[in-house]
Amino acid sequence: MMDDTPTVETNLDSGQGQNREIEHVVGSTVQLIAFTVGEQYYCIDIMAVREIRAWSGTTTLPKTAEFVRGVINLRGTIVPIIDLRARFGQGQTDANKSNVVIILSVGERLYGLLADTVSDILTVPEKDIHPVPETDGAAENPFIEGLITKDSQMVAMIALEQVVDEAVVH
Amino acid sequence: MDALEEFKQTYFQECDELLGDLESHLMALQDGETEVETLHAAFRAIHSIKGGAGAFGFDRLVSFSHTFETVLDLMREGKVAPSEECVGIVVRAGDIVADLVAAARNGEEPAADFGADVLDQLAAIAGEEGAAEGADAGGEDAADDVDEIEFTPIPVDLDGDGGDGGDAEAQDDADEAAAPPAASERFRITFRPAKTMFTRAHEPLIFVRELRGLGGVTTTADVSDLPDLAELDPEAAYIGWTFELKTAAGRQAVEEVFEFVIDDCDLTIEAIDENGQPVSTDPGEGGEPQPDAPAEPQPDAPAEPQPEEPTPPAAEAAPETPEMPETPETPDTLETSDEPPAVPTAEAEPTPDEVEPTPVEADSAPTAPTAGPKPADKSAKEAAAPAAKASGVTAIRVDLDKIDRLVNMVGELVITQAMISQQSDPLLAERYPQLVQGLEQLHQHTRGLQDSVMAIRAQPVKSVFSRMPRLVRELSAQTGKKVKLVMSGESTEIDKTVIEQLNDPLTHMIRNAADHGVEAPDVREAAGKPAEGTIHLSAEQRGGRIVIQIADDGAGVNREKVRAKAIERNLIAADAKLSDEEIDNLIFLPGFSTADQISNISGRGVGMDVVKQNIQKLGGRVTVRSEPGKGSRMVMTLPLTLAVLDGMIVRVGDDHYVLALANIVESLLPHKDDLQPVAGGGTVLRIRGQYVEIVSLRRSFDMAPPADADQELIVIVEVEGGDQVGLVVDEIVGQQQVVIKSLEENFDPISGIGGATILGDGNVALILDVAGLRAVHKRKVAGQSQTTSRVDRDQEHAA
Repeated sequence: MMDDTPTVETNLDSGQGQNREIEHVVGSTVQLIAFTVGEQYYCIDIMAVREIRAWSGTTTLPKTAEFVRGVINLRGTIVPIIDLRARFGQGQTDANKSNVVIILSVGERLYGLLADTVSDILTVPEKDIHPVPETDGAAENPFIEGLITKDSQMVAMIALEQVVDEAVVH
Repeated sequence: MDALEEFKQTYFQECDELLGDLESHLMALQDGETEVETLHAAFRAIHSIKGGAGAFGFDRLVSFSHTFETVLDLMREGKVAPSEECVGIVVRAGDIVADLVAAARNGEEPAADFGADVLDQLAAIAGEEGAAEGADAGGEDAADDVDEIEFTPIPVDLDGDGGDGGDAEAQDDADEAAAPPAASERFRITFRPAKTMFTRAHEPLIFVRELRGLGGVTTTADVSDLPDLAELDPEAAYIGWTFELKTAAGRQAVEEVFEFVIDDCDLTIEAIDENGQPVSTDPGEGGEPQPDAPAEPQPDAPAEPQPEEPTPPAAEAAPETPEMPETPETPDTLETSDEPPAVPTAEAEPTPDEVEPTPVEADSAPTAPTAGPKPADKSAKEAAAPAAKASGVTAIRVDLDKIDRLVNMVGELVITQAMISQQSDPLLAERYPQLVQGLEQLHQHTRGLQDSVMAIRAQPVKSVFSRMPRLVRELSAQTGKKVKLVMSGESTEIDKTVIEQLNDPLTHMIRNAADHGVEAPDVREAAGKPAEGTIHLSAEQRGGRIVIQIADDGAGVNREKVRAKAIERNLIAADAKLSDEEIDNLIFLPGFSTADQISNISGRGVGMDVVKQNIQKLGGRVTVRSEPGKGSRMVMTLPLTLAVLDGMIVRVGDDHYVLALANIVESLLPHKDDLQPVAGGGTVLRIRGQYVEIVSLRRSFDMAPPADADQELIVIVEVEGGDQVGLVVDEIVGQQQVVIKSLEENFDPISGIGGATILGDGNVALILDVAGLRAVHKRKVAGQSQTTSRVDRDQEHAA
């Protein structure tokens, strides 16, 4: 309990990369955005998220994998959208306005992840992020880098670099 | 080091501009222009180049431009007549300076005897034996400079006290010759600032400028109060000046110049007569007593190529340096105007021991032993010169990135604006008339803003054009043909990126015109044309595009030869029926060259198709029109900017794609009989006896075949290399200017897609890269053997 107190304060002014660095050093918490694709909960580090938008259609990019839904105009920048459902091998999302696009910066680039709904913002002690069991047979395995239990629900933490890399297949 | 490197870059940038100026002035000279201002301008350009070169230690450049400058100086003083021969040498010298600058920029050392012949000729004109020694004249020059400088100060200095009658007279003559004819008085103004003058924020340079504004000024600096370097207080004023002013403005005007400094100086203003009044300042004081000691602080700045020095030649040096002696010189570099006589005097005197050939100013003296009258001469001319010079430069250097960011932002604004406009319907106009009116205004302002921003990137084509005269000179020397280059429309402005990529195509085309177009002098005369051929290079703006034309009055395209060659090289069918224009334009095909002999000028068969490719890459087009016996004209049209593309929007499936309008030849609804499968898969379209390869966008992009294939259109597009490709699309939506966006910024490149843009509705449209599409298509065709089925179906539908 005592451990948590200072980090709660820090979290209040999150968004500062430096703060997070410090948190890591003291081994405290991370903030994650949790969302759903189908029945499953996933999450990503909040620091990678630029913004969350409603689905508004894309322009198809020819000759790309099924999970690349095309590109959108994000205030003048052309941003590719990755359909997570398709990425996990469950077929393309039948997207409508209730779907969300989470804009991420990964490395130097911007991507959008197409998901169903954003459910929560989690503040989780780092020690509570469990490694993915090696024998886990889940289809999305290469794209998951950790597991968290929240209210007895399993939340899978997405490995962003893997998800956006066209060369990685599940 | 970094700072020095930065200065160097600035210097080279300036060199580019200066060399361009120099070239145009030399061209004017060659055309018989006799304005002394042209010579002045050429002198200033070479002088500035030399100054910077000295600061960076480019000795070869310094020594060459020094001699060059000497000759120009003699010419502008009328001591050397601008004979044809002399101008020829000067023009060649200009080329060599350009080469030396290029060598310095690339860190190369030119061959030891490079330019030696021209240097000798220059030296012969200048009558400078020392410089005539040849390529390594640097050292010699230095010695010369020192010699001359040692002599010069004395006459100049004595000038001030009128002791040297002859010189004074020469000066007067000069004054009279050049100064405006207004009735004028002469004043001698002795200005000795108090030591604390600078602390009161007074700037002697301003007084000098103002005096110059009143009339011809001869300035003499009095450095007698200068202490040793060790004792020198950098913030104190040590130097006094004596000005001899010839002005029609009257004493009061002169007094007004010094109005604010009157409490911080000793000032005497006395009227003098034509020959100057008897001395009021002691001649000996002028500097003799301290030949070296006081010298140090002054010449330091101009004479030594120290790392701090780059600033003055770089023209960025504001005159705020606390060192007084420098201030009178700064205007030179700043305005690239003539040097005020104070400079040679002040600096030359005390430094015989350490002057190098490099100083920016030292050159004004070395030209002749009669340096005395010369400065006066200069100042007189300067006074006569239009005051425009003094108005100063109003341009600023801005990082290109910053401008690009601005351009992008405005691009967004235009798109957003278009988006808003699309939303406004008649109902809205009825309910909120003012809102709609505001939108209209917004539209206009946005367009205006876009135009202005684009104009920032625009530059006159002069910067490329100015490299061409030299090319033509060299070509005519190499080919033995007489060729004259006439240029017009150099001030036409075009996007900087386009300009940068214009040099190669232009060079090729001019080469072609000189090599293939213009005939040998005897052939020309036999044909009743002047022996000297003319190439006319022109630029103009027509609508949203720039048209650059290269017209020669040569033999024109030899159509029979071109045709025969094209058949021989399998570029066209032996029985192909081509119009004259089509035959002319065969010269743009790859691997085509009609030169019987391969010369190193042109004729390698790569020239014209490379030209075409380069121009197409810029979104432009090039054609040739020719009239046998009368010459040919190559016409190049280019977009004003690369950030915006004139696009044709086509629909394939649910998506819109953009094709560069410049590359579109025609669009048509094909007749089924014209579509024919070819062996190995693929389809061709027969059109007017020629066959055009057909590329289906749907198939290239792995899309399902359309429901109504008979409605499909074919857009014929010209790709790099001159080939035509027919693209099958569903619909042509319209034509629009689009802002080009990078797709690669956030995604890996896709072959066949050149970029993206945002349409008025905010959606993204992909810009097609037809050459890439064709490659994709070829791979597909090669990979599938049953491809003909698609063609068959097409034909069925068409039926």
